[in-house]
Amino acid sequence: MLRLFLRPDVFLSTSGDLLEQYRDSILPVRGLFRADRWYLRQVLGFALRKTLPWAALFAGAFVARFALDMLHPTTDFHTRSRVTTYTSIGLLLAAGFWTAWRSGSFLAGAAAGFATVAAASVLSIAGTAGLLAFWHDAPAMSAIAASGGLDEAFFLPAFLIVPGIVLGGIGGLVGAGAKRIWRAI
Amino acid sequence: MAEILGTFEQAVLLAIIRLRDDAYGRAILQEVGLRLGREVAPGAVQATLERLENKGLVTSQLGAGTPIRSGRPRRFYRVGPSGISALNDARTAVEHLWRGLRWPLKGHA
Repeated sequence: MLRLFLRPDVFLSTSGDLLEQYRDSILPVRGLFRADRWYLRQVLGFALRKTLPWAALFAGAFVARFALDMLHPTTDFHTRSRVTTYTSIGLLLAAGFWTAWRSGSFLAGAAAGFATVAAASVLSIAGTAGLLAFWHDAPAMSAIAASGGLDEAFFLPAFLIVPGIVLGGIGGLVGAGAKRIWRAI
Repeated sequence: MAEILGTFEQAVLLAIIRLRDDAYGRAILQEVGLRLGREVAPGAVQATLERLENKGLVTSQLGAGTPIRSGRPRRFYRVGPSGISALNDARTAVEHLWRGLRWPLKGHA
């Protein structure tokens, strides 16, 4: 997993640092189970740091759409849906492309797609809940119901895990290919 | 002013200076944790080192691995002239902010 999210030239030294810290400092003090948990948390931390900007943009698009539907209701959701959909597709392709370009592996793109959607789901739930804390009067709630309801507002990003992996993978394929061509010329 | 540094960036740069020839990732992690008095995530240190290197404030080169690292190489860091200049600017900025005040502050909370 580390290999997917780090540049090849820093992967070996960084994984060596992590291994040394684990074996020399963490394992003797915390024991096997807690040390393994620490190691896993650090690796996930690397993945999260690399995908957090994409996740923030992805969640921002969803929360902005939710706010728009709630504060400026409409009966024609076609245009708004198209904008949200294309923005999401673009962000996932870009996240996959960028991560694969850095690591040189197309699998990194798929992993970035997964991590982006997973982190965005959490951010989106927090953002939507934050908006609801401020605006929850009757007109706002009926506007939410008309635009798809609270379930969709809260959980739609989480349902995009599989599309996220696929789109991230496609972006990753292009990114890894572009990197090889870039190295060759 | 060469570069505006954050507190964590300063901590990492100063750790590299303190560690001299032994400034590799894990040693920097421990030194920063010791100075800040809290556990520091290896990912945070690695991301900062990468950023500082991209800004041209530090340089790095690979060294030999050890058995505890399963032979994986160490990456040793050095603070370059721009890094030294950025640290001096950061220190000067803090001293300007504090000029004329007695430390520690007393009185109104």
